[in-house]
Amino acid sequence: MVKLFREMKISSRVSAFWLCLMALFAVVGHWIPLPDPREFDIDASAVGPFSPGHILGTDAGGYDLLSNIVNGARTSLLISIVSVGLGGFIGSVLGILAAYRRGRLDYIINTTFNIMLSIPNLVLGLALVAVLANNADPAIPVNPNRRMFVIIVSLTIVIIPILGRIARGATLTWSNREFVVAARSMGMRDLNIVLRHIVPNVLPAIYAVGFLAVGVVIVAEGALSLLGVGIVDGLSWGAMIARVAGEFEYAPQSMYVPVLVLALTVIACNQIGDFLRGRLDVREGKI
Amino acid sequence: MNDLTFKLLAAARRLAQLLVVIVGSTFLVSLLLQLLPVGLKELYVFALDEAGRQQQIQALHLDKNPVMFYLYWLWDFVRGDFGSIVYPTGVLDPVMPKVTAAMPVSLRLVFYVQALALVVSVPLGILSAYRAGRRSDRVISYVLFSAASIPNFVFALLLASFFGVTLAWLPPLGYVAPSENLVEHLRTMALPVLALAIPTIATYTRLLRTDVIAALREDYVTMAASKGLSNIRILFTHILRPSSVTLFTSAALNMGALIGGTLVIEQIFTIPGMGTEIGIAIFSRQYFALQSYVAVIAIGYVLFNSIVDIAVGFVDPRSRDRRNG
Repeated sequence: MVKLFREMKISSRVSAFWLCLMALFAVVGHWIPLPDPREFDIDASAVGPFSPGHILGTDAGGYDLLSNIVNGARTSLLISIVSVGLGGFIGSVLGILAAYRRGRLDYIINTTFNIMLSIPNLVLGLALVAVLANNADPAIPVNPNRRMFVIIVSLTIVIIPILGRIARGATLTWSNREFVVAARSMGMRDLNIVLRHIVPNVLPAIYAVGFLAVGVVIVAEGALSLLGVGIVDGLSWGAMIARVAGEFEYAPQSMYVPVLVLALTVIACNQIGDFLRGRLDVREGKI
Repeated sequence: MNDLTFKLLAAARRLAQLLVVIVGSTFLVSLLLQLLPVGLKELYVFALDEAGRQQQIQALHLDKNPVMFYLYWLWDFVRGDFGSIVYPTGVLDPVMPKVTAAMPVSLRLVFYVQALALVVSVPLGILSAYRAGRRSDRVISYVLFSAASIPNFVFALLLASFFGVTLAWLPPLGYVAPSENLVEHLRTMALPVLALAIPTIATYTRLLRTDVIAALREDYVTMAASKGLSNIRILFTHILRPSSVTLFTSAALNMGALIGGTLVIEQIFTIPGMGTEIGIAIFSRQYFALQSYVAVIAIGYVLFNSIVDIAVGFVDPRSRDRRNG
């Protein structure tokens, strides 16, 4: 970790720091002494940044923005990390299996990936959420936990082919390397070859694209909120943006703050992903 | 085997692959309807008497298994019947006219964005490539990287608030058809197109910059320069031609992100395109309509990518040979 940090340029270091800060918010956010994100301050609605008691100001309803950002980090990061982690795991297992086994299994898995990728990812995510989040009676309020679960499942399905394809491609190149052929000719079991020789070499590529995927999912969460099928209890960055999207003339900071935080987080994810990918290329080049 | 049969065989294989993906993706969308926590019958069968119920169930093919349900849908779809919006009164409102009304609007939006992005990013990419290594270059490439990472709805909201509300130069929402009033059409489209184009321009410029920097180091460029060819000529024939392949391929890949982007942008700016229709279908729980909308988008996306792939083969003979070899 420390070695990795030393290799970074200043922009990557800032990005790493920003992501750590957001992760910290996500984990200990509810212990930080801030106003309740769901409670409005009747004396201070739409106050600007650096007001007493409200460091980033409040929105037109009097909700504290910093508190919403800090507590929203949990939802936004939970959704993105769980769906990328789960989707990445399933995708990698399928991709490695396909590329290592080849033949008919490879054809089936690869075609399935292509089919899933043939639907633009936000369209697929939206369709999945719309269908899965349907409840019997529109009059019954949506259960926030169930909606969150549905969003995570949908975005996981969106991520599977993206990372699965990367895993497949990387496995294809690595499984023809001399040391893999040697291991096979020495009679090493397939499972051992995959775990010892393939997985460690494929993982860096997955990590690199995984960070990019986290950015994609954070954006998707925001987009789903704007389309009206996001997190329902309002404690996520996307939900914050969606809430003020139409009416932020009275409190411009209520728009700029969440938009800035979301954009910076996506930039940071892409920066780290880019850094990891660049590092990968260098190592490949040296061989 | 002679060359022609080989080419025909390759084309046939390509076509078969294309069909598999199209059938697969439309089937996937059709399967989605089976995943509904609420049965389709509860949503769309409203008749009170048993005979009427049976009639409605049969009309909507709800008594079929998922595969047959899909095949019925596919048969209707290829004949131009995109299913219907089902009203509680039992009245059916066909989806096809909605698609033919909304599709041109979305296509126009995407076309403007791609055209603007290509027109701006080509000179920008070349310019920044020629400046590579200077101090300003790091700043420029960092700005481009950030702009490419910022989601388009962020630009949309900021642009709408600044140019639409604060300065009130351009309408912050709405849509006017070009046949109605061309000037107003361009004015209403300006902000949505810009919101989608900024990240796209940044992405293309970055790609072109890397490509041009690599091309400038190629031996054939040095050779062309030593032959005494003019800079302009080298730029167009030796640098831009191979680079255009990367650019068009990435334009095709970017199409997916752009289509997703239009969904959100159309909702923000209330443009009556496919995104708005999809939004309406979701809120009024019209999943047959949703199925056809998503299928149309998926088919269009796949076809566009294949066309670009073939076009790239014409521009770059190297990729053509690779594929046949």
